[in-house]
Amino acid sequence: MTGDGEAVPARGWGGDDPPSRRDYGRESRRREHRFAAALLGPAFMALIATTTFPLFYLVWVSVQRLDLGMPFMNGFTGSANYMQLLSDPRFWQSLGASLVYTVSTVVLQVVVGLGLALAVLEMKRGQSLFRIIAILPVVLSPAVVGMVWRSFMLTPEFGVIDYLGITAGLGSHNWLGDPTLAMISVIVIHTWQWTPFAFMVLLASLAALPDDLYEAARIDRASGWQRFTRITLPLIRPAIIMVIIMRTMVALTAFAAIFTVTGGGPGTATEILNLYAYRKSFTELSLGYGAALAVALLLLTIAISGLLFLLRRGK
Amino acid sequence: MDNSFFNRRSVLRGMAGSTALLAMPGLARRAMAQGAELGPYQQAKIDWRQAEGETITVAVIPAAYFENLITLAPQFEELTGVKLRFEKVPPAQIRQKAVLDLTSGTGTYATHAADPMYYALYQANGWVDPLDDYLNDASLTDKDWFRPDDIVPAWTAANTIDGKLYGIPYDGEVTLQVLRKDLYEAKGLAPAEDLDGFVANAKAVHDPDNRIWGTALRGLAGAGQNVYIYSSLFRAFGGDWLPGGNLTVNGPEAEAALAWYVQTMKDYAPAAAQGWNWPDIADAFSQGTVASYIDAHSSASVINTPDKSQVIGKIAYARWPKGPSGKRVSSIWNWGLPINAKLSDKAKKATWLFIQWAASPETQARTSYLFSGPTKRSGVNRLSLWEQPEYVQTVSGFGDNFVEATLTALKEDTDVDWRPRVPQWPGIGDAVATAIASALAGQATPKSALDAAQAQVTKMMQ
Repeated sequence: MTGDGEAVPARGWGGDDPPSRRDYGRESRRREHRFAAALLGPAFMALIATTTFPLFYLVWVSVQRLDLGMPFMNGFTGSANYMQLLSDPRFWQSLGASLVYTVSTVVLQVVVGLGLALAVLEMKRGQSLFRIIAILPVVLSPAVVGMVWRSFMLTPEFGVIDYLGITAGLGSHNWLGDPTLAMISVIVIHTWQWTPFAFMVLLASLAALPDDLYEAARIDRASGWQRFTRITLPLIRPAIIMVIIMRTMVALTAFAAIFTVTGGGPGTATEILNLYAYRKSFTELSLGYGAALAVALLLLTIAISGLLFLLRRGK
Repeated sequence: MDNSFFNRRSVLRGMAGSTALLAMPGLARRAMAQGAELGPYQQAKIDWRQAEGETITVAVIPAAYFENLITLAPQFEELTGVKLRFEKVPPAQIRQKAVLDLTSGTGTYATHAADPMYYALYQANGWVDPLDDYLNDASLTDKDWFRPDDIVPAWTAANTIDGKLYGIPYDGEVTLQVLRKDLYEAKGLAPAEDLDGFVANAKAVHDPDNRIWGTALRGLAGAGQNVYIYSSLFRAFGGDWLPGGNLTVNGPEAEAALAWYVQTMKDYAPAAAQGWNWPDIADAFSQGTVASYIDAHSSASVINTPDKSQVIGKIAYARWPKGPSGKRVSSIWNWGLPINAKLSDKAKKATWLFIQWAASPETQARTSYLFSGPTKRSGVNRLSLWEQPEYVQTVSGFGDNFVEATLTALKEDTDVDWRPRVPQWPGIGDAVATAIASALAGQATPKSALDAAQAQVTKMMQ
């Protein structure tokens, strides 16, 4: 499509009564639109059916009372689920757990990932081998990672980590049985699995930095630290923020690894918002309230990501 | 059994069994099934072929007692002309999958291995049929042959809501003390009569420096895990779930019961037991690191696995210790089989025939002591079988006092109000499980944990 009706040469496609050049152009454009719509239609419908519809249905469920345990009470409740949510201490606790989990995993991933990227950048040989090894955890399923850590690494007395701890004279710890240690454990597991992602992205963007800037800086006798904070960091800032955004969205909605490692326990120590919503919906069978929790999590994720995007555009 | 993990051994065994069966030439199998095999069933005065041509799907858990049943399925198909499809769902997921199927109303599972705590929920939603109509219909059930009164009364009571039966028990269990006879004898100890005695015994044999811990109880959070043990304690301390009709999970009895649980676990159980379910406890016991535990009698088959267990021949059993209220409270757990209300009438008939076949004295015997495979069931649903010499001989190999303790517990220690049978149970159970777990982890005191659970439960019941 040329997009310009005048430019399309009129041939006698219109039959006995050929339309004017303008009409023909409009007709052709309309046809093309229809054709495009027909091509796009199935995919679009599939997308609506699989993403948009469930989303609106979730919101619809969240304004209902839908307890399978008490079907006789079910019905429309308006904002009741949301009011209940605001006064639910376990909601605030799980929100707090979500924020602790998200902030610490994202910060750790960026810091460790950047450190590794800087170190590897200087490597003359074996860089690609290192990259392959580093990427391995990312390709594992989080559920598998959870099971491996739970059974091989953290089991008191028998796990690798606990064994190392005992050998180092730190004694045996019940890594997943103590509230604080359990939180630290799930943070470490997530960081272990996903740091390679940050590492790869930052390494790529570091490798693309122009050498002449650094040369100029060296001539001006800028120290290593100055070169890092004044040149490297500002230049890779977009990459860092991109990593932060992507990892934040994933950390806020993390599920599988925590579910398999602690199931939110001990007690509710590692119960992030997503797990709480799952438990409400599928263990307690309070689908309405569970949906309200899921909507709250969705709003939170959108708000935080939006903020980060604004930050990215800020400079 | 209220288990939450794949029992790998039982799955492997079942797989081996079914492979062997498949390897047999189909003709031979059919001939075998047609012969004397069907005789005992044909004595029932009903038309077994009245639902011929139907296909029904049955969801079970991958445990030996169901694997044995699956092995016998060709006999049922031969008898009735109804085709069976089995779907194996791990115990941790079967409740959710069943609820999902029942809410969607698609009638995928004609019947499934059901948690007795869920019948109130099923009944409130009208998801399953009351079975009395099937039992009392002479064209569907020959009562003289099926003998429903012979089924363990505590289990049928557990599956009854408002006087109506919703699931026929297929396999069940009681909870018992499981003890290391040799360690107890070395210290001159007798099986505990009450909870104080149990702790005193645990203290006497507790020797963590030599890798022997006094006891272990389920610590893993879950309505079917730590709540399973806690409920018996709660009742033994004199607790009542529904005083004055209000569901109550806190109060002095609850606090005392939970405090006992926490203290016993802290003093005499390995730290990791906080995250253990029964298979983990049974494994630790098999390795000789735990000197006693209280759990389902059916874990006996795990601790008697020849190549895995180092304590075979050193095991003794005893009933639950008495609590301060003087009661011994055993679990009334059983896997029952309900009928999905969304099925067509003919499919319902087919499903009932299957349930009747599976729960009948003949099939119960054929899946236990008459079974040709290596695993014999120990949770048969018939009191009469427990008195049958062949059966008694088969299961008494599990250790001292096994048959006697189990049978006494089945008859005397069961308590229908062991756990509150209300439709909101899944939520209540989860709240109580979380409270127990946080108390065990030291995150909260028993009182504050239970009060928090009560606040949640009160909100749920509104």
